[in-house]
Amino acid sequence: MSSEPIERRVSYIGDRLRGSQCSICGKEYFRTKDYCGKCGRKSFGKMQDIDFFYEKGKLEVCTIVREPTNKFTKLGPYIYGIISFHDEKVRVPGRLTDCILKDEEIDISLLENREVVPRFRRRCATGQSDIIPTISLAFSFADEYYPHQNHEIIKPKKEYETPGIVGYGVYVSKFRIKESAMERSIPFIDEDAITAAVEAGKMALIHSRIDPSLIGKVYVGSESNPYAVKPIASKVAQVLKLGEEEKLDGVQSVDAVDTEFACKAATSMFKDASALVYYPRAHIPYAMVIGTDNSQAAPRDEIGGELDFFVGYGSSAFIFGIHDVIAEIEAWYSCTSDTPDFWRRSLEPYPRHGGRFTGDPAYFKHIQKAARRLMEKLKLQPSDIDYFVSHQPNIRFPIKVATELGFKEDQYSAGLQVAKFGNTYSGASPIGLAAVLDEAKPNEKILIVSYGSGAGADAYCLTTTNQIKEKRSRQKFTVQHQCESEHVEYVNYDTYRRFKLGL
Amino acid sequence: MTRRKNRKMGSHHPAIIGVGRTKFGEHYEKGPEMLIEEAWLKASESAGIERKDIEACYSSDYFLQLTNKIGIEEGFISEFSELHVPMEKMRSFSSALLNACNGVQSGKYGIVLVGGVEKMTDRWDKIRDDLMLLEDPWSYYAGCTPEANHDLMLREYIKKYKISGTSLETFNLSLAHISVKNHHHAKLNEYAQFQSEVSVDRVLKGRLNAGKSLGLFDFAPISDGATALILASSDITKEYSDAPIWVIGSSSATDYVTFPSRDDRTSFMASTIAMKNALKLADIDVEGIQIAEVYDQSTLLEMISMEDMGFSQRGKAWLHIYNSCKDYEGFYQIDGRRLFVNTNGGLKADGNPLGATGGAQVFEIVKQLKGEAGNRQVNSDGDLEYGCVLELEGFGTKAYVHILARELK
Repeated sequence: MSSEPIERRVSYIGDRLRGSQCSICGKEYFRTKDYCGKCGRKSFGKMQDIDFFYEKGKLEVCTIVREPTNKFTKLGPYIYGIISFHDEKVRVPGRLTDCILKDEEIDISLLENREVVPRFRRRCATGQSDIIPTISLAFSFADEYYPHQNHEIIKPKKEYETPGIVGYGVYVSKFRIKESAMERSIPFIDEDAITAAVEAGKMALIHSRIDPSLIGKVYVGSESNPYAVKPIASKVAQVLKLGEEEKLDGVQSVDAVDTEFACKAATSMFKDASALVYYPRAHIPYAMVIGTDNSQAAPRDEIGGELDFFVGYGSSAFIFGIHDVIAEIEAWYSCTSDTPDFWRRSLEPYPRHGGRFTGDPAYFKHIQKAARRLMEKLKLQPSDIDYFVSHQPNIRFPIKVATELGFKEDQYSAGLQVAKFGNTYSGASPIGLAAVLDEAKPNEKILIVSYGSGAGADAYCLTTTNQIKEKRSRQKFTVQHQCESEHVEYVNYDTYRRFKLGL
Repeated sequence: MTRRKNRKMGSHHPAIIGVGRTKFGEHYEKGPEMLIEEAWLKASESAGIERKDIEACYSSDYFLQLTNKIGIEEGFISEFSELHVPMEKMRSFSSALLNACNGVQSGKYGIVLVGGVEKMTDRWDKIRDDLMLLEDPWSYYAGCTPEANHDLMLREYIKKYKISGTSLETFNLSLAHISVKNHHHAKLNEYAQFQSEVSVDRVLKGRLNAGKSLGLFDFAPISDGATALILASSDITKEYSDAPIWVIGSSSATDYVTFPSRDDRTSFMASTIAMKNALKLADIDVEGIQIAEVYDQSTLLEMISMEDMGFSQRGKAWLHIYNSCKDYEGFYQIDGRRLFVNTNGGLKADGNPLGATGGAQVFEIVKQLKGEAGNRQVNSDGDLEYGCVLELEGFGTKAYVHILARELK
């Protein structure tokens, strides 16, 4: 299982649920095949690649697994069954994920014949130093938290002079912990920063309807990559098939890179992505930026445990381009200083922070500097801005900084999501931006200022376009849905810690 | 294309001239070599052969490589048996027997040792993971367990035959009765892992504890054990035995390893094909079979096997079983005929040391056909003439059927 060549082959097929279809008889297979068993030799060279990654399946039969095999013990108990796709043309084994089975008796027949959606997840437990096995043979019900959405590709209609956001997506899990004024999203036990990045990227592709093969670069910002060395971006590129696919070698013609700067690892790359798509010689029509974190915090009784009251789990993805833009990037300003307010040494599992120091010389100084400089540059007053979004490590800081900058509640409330999802680190201010884009009207100005400990801030001014409205209906999995869905499930502190630790 | 049909077993007829086995269960104090030795010596003794008479050896085990870190089982057997004859290692005992039959039929060998062993308890904490090697890897990756496919097949079966309400209760009871019946038989089997009765209530309680349709008492256990038999060619059987048991049909078939990919998930195609071909080779009808050892890895599989082998019509076996077990008389009553099934206690109660299991099944049929089953001897209408053994590898991925006869006609 942890042997790298096997892992490569299994995840290459299993993460995307790749298959083949015979173009003669139409028979479909899970897993790629060079010929059709029914048509024999004449089908050589006539097999078409298909995959079930964006498809809707049906749970045909299932059972409860209460005694899993060793590597699956942490997942259990769970529902395991047979899932069919395409009117029962193909059947695959599958596990239901996002499902905490209670002790009471479960009527299996109520689960059968329901529609399910594949989810990209960790496959099973593994040693601390091993490759993390992943798979999309994990499913959740299509009529629950995570809806099935078609993945369509359309040709862009309009070219813009200014680059900007052409599509975006947010992913937070359906599990939450509720303590005092805050609700925080937490991963299911088979989730991590990698799986969330793929999910958010998938949502951005669904929303933008661009051809994923036109994405030339993907940046993934995170501070909770389960690997010290091995990019999340490579997984995202492979699973989402970003860039032209070199099928014979299983290689994507795309550049993929991970970035790290505490909570601004993703926002920092917005300008790089915009510049890249704007530079004609790059021949890169689109670039994707993902911020993803399974935000780390020590347990409450340990040093650094204060963070345990605030951390969330989630990811957001933005696609930049100059076609069918929904929000143009007008200008940006970034500032940096070597302010060690929050850090995590390599080999340490949890970050430390400088207490009060994280607020005053760190968070407030950098955000205010970046926001003021950018507004000066653009000759804007706070009243000219429709929406203000800032990094949101807790509820107090972003409100305080917004007020000090002269913004009113109706300017900052839409982008303030920390009370619903917790601090999603690299995903935090981008999720706030996504919430704003979910509701903004054309020709509105958005000021987003991220903050990364260490320290620095990125300020961007965006102006929405007319196309923001027409694209809105393409996304059912909005920030509001993920916040208010009746399928959101609350867990206690022990479960939260266990889930966060993962497989 | 020419089709093979009705090919008889050849002029060198294989016959079983001796059988031997160990008790099944946990043999903490014994290594695999001690178990094989015991079974082999018993078989040789009952056949009246010497070690030097053995011309070839077909052995079987599934997991000795994992459980005991033995990579070349043949060399291991050679070392403790001090034999240097050709040896081949298969997975299941039936596979070893089938290949031994081929060797005898071809005229190549006169006397062959067939032996199977398994030492599952030596890897108690990992053996359920090892068992997943018998499923397709994708099912394993998706979270399948050794029991899960049995549960899924049960769901498929009751959906296909629209079994619900009181019928479903009867269906569930019929499977419980299989466990009760097999334990009942095992009580008289000195070699069995569980020589104890279980009640229907206990089976049902096991399901309640598991929270599903099949519970602890529906599944065969984890076992150690060894079995052996001596196979001889008809040319020379007379030198050793007046009453050998003839292998008159020996067949196998193969199906997709991926259970979800099979078109029909309420039966095992491999069992059906293997049985059909074995009957053809034996040149008898299914009605001729009076006693059968089937592969009850779960109670469900005993029921499914009844249909796969043609004893019961599709969708009806559970009714035959239920009606026979209400007042169990030692056999299944099917359309007025008696069929003795798993009289050694089946895998459920006799035990299931994978590589040795088929040997215990053959052991039982041989003993019954020879009338040497002691207080287990079945109460048949007339003389027992024909018996058969179904052994599976994996979840119906491979099926082996051997038809044994008291006389060679």
